[in-house]
Amino acid sequence: MFCVQCGANNADTAMVCVQCGRNLQPNAPVPLPAPGVVLPPGMTVQNYLVFAILATVFCCPATGIPAIIYAAQVNGKLQMGDPAGAKAASDNAKMWCWISLGVGVAITVLYFMLILLGVLSGLHSS
Amino acid sequence: MRTLLQLREHRVLAAMFLSGVAGIILLRVFDPATSGVFPPCPVRYLTGLYCPGCGSLRALHALLHGDLRRALAMNPMMVVTLPFVTYGLVSAALAELRGKGVPQVMLPASWIRALCAAIILFAIARNLPFHPFNLLAPGALLHP
Repeated sequence: MFCVQCGANNADTAMVCVQCGRNLQPNAPVPLPAPGVVLPPGMTVQNYLVFAILATVFCCPATGIPAIIYAAQVNGKLQMGDPAGAKAASDNAKMWCWISLGVGVAITVLYFMLILLGVLSGLHSS
Repeated sequence: MRTLLQLREHRVLAAMFLSGVAGIILLRVFDPATSGVFPPCPVRYLTGLYCPGCGSLRALHALLHGDLRRALAMNPMMVVTLPFVTYGLVSAALAELRGKGVPQVMLPASWIRALCAAIILFAIARNLPFHPFNLLAPGALLHP
């Protein structure tokens, strides 16, 4: 199937175009000038990209990067017409976001506990 | 009663919203550079290296005081991605609250991979100890 927006050749089962991201479903909304596309509500699979980026920046890059890679996989699998695979990648992206949040919160709590410990030991010795 | 039920349904969202508001107030009042209110970046603390997010809190503090120059010097990536992240957060929150009817932008997978590569390259570049990459370290542009 050829994309009506950019002409790229896509798999017949593809839900979005591999090249420009245009929705290839028959009842898709009008094309957008931008390379992004607006999927009809309910058809999209949450990719948690925003949370993955926030996790990378604020919590822990080591666990945030896998979340971003899974977010890319969600969109890639949607492009290839594999909603089940997209859902699995989505669950993984979500899991890594929660892991990042957990690591971030744990380190923050640990940091403030160490400060408290330092203050208390300072009081004790003086 | 109905609002209470809704609040229970969206308690993750409510918690995120409240911590976001608390974070903004704390960031406006305290300077992460001089006060001990905010924890240090664990990557920087453990390895001595800058992570791609280092300087984000100082950048947000500067932005909350209208100092774009200082914010860009602290973490340019943070400042550039902030509008997109804000849109994504608002969009996700509305989708959670209203269910259907909120358009979500679908980026091609290659764009997301490119973004991921850009974040990693930014992290590497800002740790290089020579010009011009050393200017990417948090705050380096302020004291050239």
